[in-house]
Amino acid sequence: MHKLLNINLCGVEFKNPIIAASGTFGYGLEYSNFIDLNRLGGISVKGISLNEVKGNPMPRIMETSAGMLNAIGLQNVGVEKFVKDKLPLLRRYNTKIIVNFWGKTLDEYIEVAKILDREDVDMLEMNISCPNIKEGGIAFGTDPKMTYDVVYNCKKVMNSKPLVVKLSPNVTNIKIFGKVAEEAGADAISAINTLLGMAININTRRPFLSNVTGGLSGPAIKPVAVRMVYELYKTINIPIIGIGGIMDYRDVVEFYLAGASAVQVGTANFVNPEIPLKIIDDLESYCLKNSIENISDIKGKVITN
Amino acid sequence: MKGIVLKNIKLNDKYYHMIINSKEFCLKVSAGQFFMIQPKEFDYIYDPLLRRPFGVCDIDDNKENFSLLYMVVGKGTKLLTTIREGVEIDFSQPIGNSFTILKNKKVAIVGGGIGIAPLFFLAKELKKNSCDVTIYFGGQSSEDIVFTDEFSKYSDRLVITTNDGSVGIKGFVTKPFEDDIENFDFVYSCGPKKMLEAVSKISVEHSKPVEVSLDERMACGLGACLGCIVYVREGGDVVQKRCCVEGPIFDGSKVLWESVCR
Repeated sequence: MHKLLNINLCGVEFKNPIIAASGTFGYGLEYSNFIDLNRLGGISVKGISLNEVKGNPMPRIMETSAGMLNAIGLQNVGVEKFVKDKLPLLRRYNTKIIVNFWGKTLDEYIEVAKILDREDVDMLEMNISCPNIKEGGIAFGTDPKMTYDVVYNCKKVMNSKPLVVKLSPNVTNIKIFGKVAEEAGADAISAINTLLGMAININTRRPFLSNVTGGLSGPAIKPVAVRMVYELYKTINIPIIGIGGIMDYRDVVEFYLAGASAVQVGTANFVNPEIPLKIIDDLESYCLKNSIENISDIKGKVITN
Repeated sequence: MKGIVLKNIKLNDKYYHMIINSKEFCLKVSAGQFFMIQPKEFDYIYDPLLRRPFGVCDIDDNKENFSLLYMVVGKGTKLLTTIREGVEIDFSQPIGNSFTILKNKKVAIVGGGIGIAPLFFLAKELKKNSCDVTIYFGGQSSEDIVFTDEFSKYSDRLVITTNDGSVGIKGFVTKPFEDDIENFDFVYSCGPKKMLEAVSKISVEHSKPVEVSLDERMACGLGACLGCIVYVREGGDVVQKRCCVEGPIFDGSKVLWESVCR
């Protein structure tokens, strides 16, 4: 095994920087019949909340040009069931487990962070950027003061696990939010979550989604994501996990050049569950071919002058 | 999985029939299951992005080739028509649960439009198990009525209806089905939501078990995206089922039809 892709993120050793993105990979187990989960660098599980959430009414998804809209509504089994039923099964695989979590209120965020911090997981990823729920979520990600409070207060109750904060692109200036999260104690940033979008059926004149609007993901959003990672990299000192429309190894290299320290593959998992594994193989070949000793060597190496 | 496209034939302005060679797939699949297929020859084209779900229409007797019958409705299916014969194409393994295959029973199969596709495979399996099979096949007009020779071969009675009367009985397919319902032990159906709801209602009224194949919009087809939720009565509760991996076949008497999108 080459060491080309080994990375260290906030003290956690990943065998490669390819992480399955939250919301596109269930609890990991759904994919175990289709791919070897042991090969992934990590898995960020579906956003967990204090109590079980049933999600939004149907229809919840719609394909758009080179992407898709979703308004699932953070459906999840709740932290207790996750820890009891899902986590032990997922732990049998040799991959890092990042638990994405969220709350409707500040107290719920703190409570879930406190519970997960004691469990056998590798990292926590705070979701302050889901555009599809009415309470909590994105409200914490679009007001710098609320971002500071939620990150600071969760970090305060966490003793052992690194905290990643997943930012929303639905803001005028993402640098402000990266800076605030860093100041509040975040160990890393993941960016970006979905872009708020809408699609209308011209025959019925109704939106395709019951939630009216939804989060846009897929290759359509990649340039926005790369730009935001680039802006964050110039602004903050903590590592950035790049997310947004990654389909192949070239996209991963692009995020690295913009300043990412790792990446998450999301919508591509829906397109074909084998894509992350192909990316890992291709990325390794790319490093060999270009005499790159470790993928981290190209971090932030975009040439702009 | 991968397989070679052996045929991709235009049946008429609306329908195409594609035959794919894959022994691996054929050995795994049961009637009622579906699969996701990349609707284009090249995986670096990102629009359309997602794979498309299709019911398995037929498996040949040697279990080497399977087919899909598809209607050209949008970007994905239009591109699917451009896939050339001889090209290797990427698709998923067979997904979901399957129809209950009964032995020596009198069964009704009710299909509407493109919903007829998975019912062909079903009819064949039921005939193999000595069932007496009556197929009710409804469409908007004559171009929706395809494969009638083949359907005749795998049924004891084939009843055709069209809304415009251009072929068969004029009107909805549910009418002749309802007239005959007392003859049957079991009902199977696939097609538009309104038809499935009507077929289920008629079956329930006459205390006949009914299985329906649903077709919700889905992204992944492996139970992860939660885009294809169907609400079903279970005990005294209403529970969420993922149409892809916990369906696509449901007990028609248990489905909450107001929650079904298509």
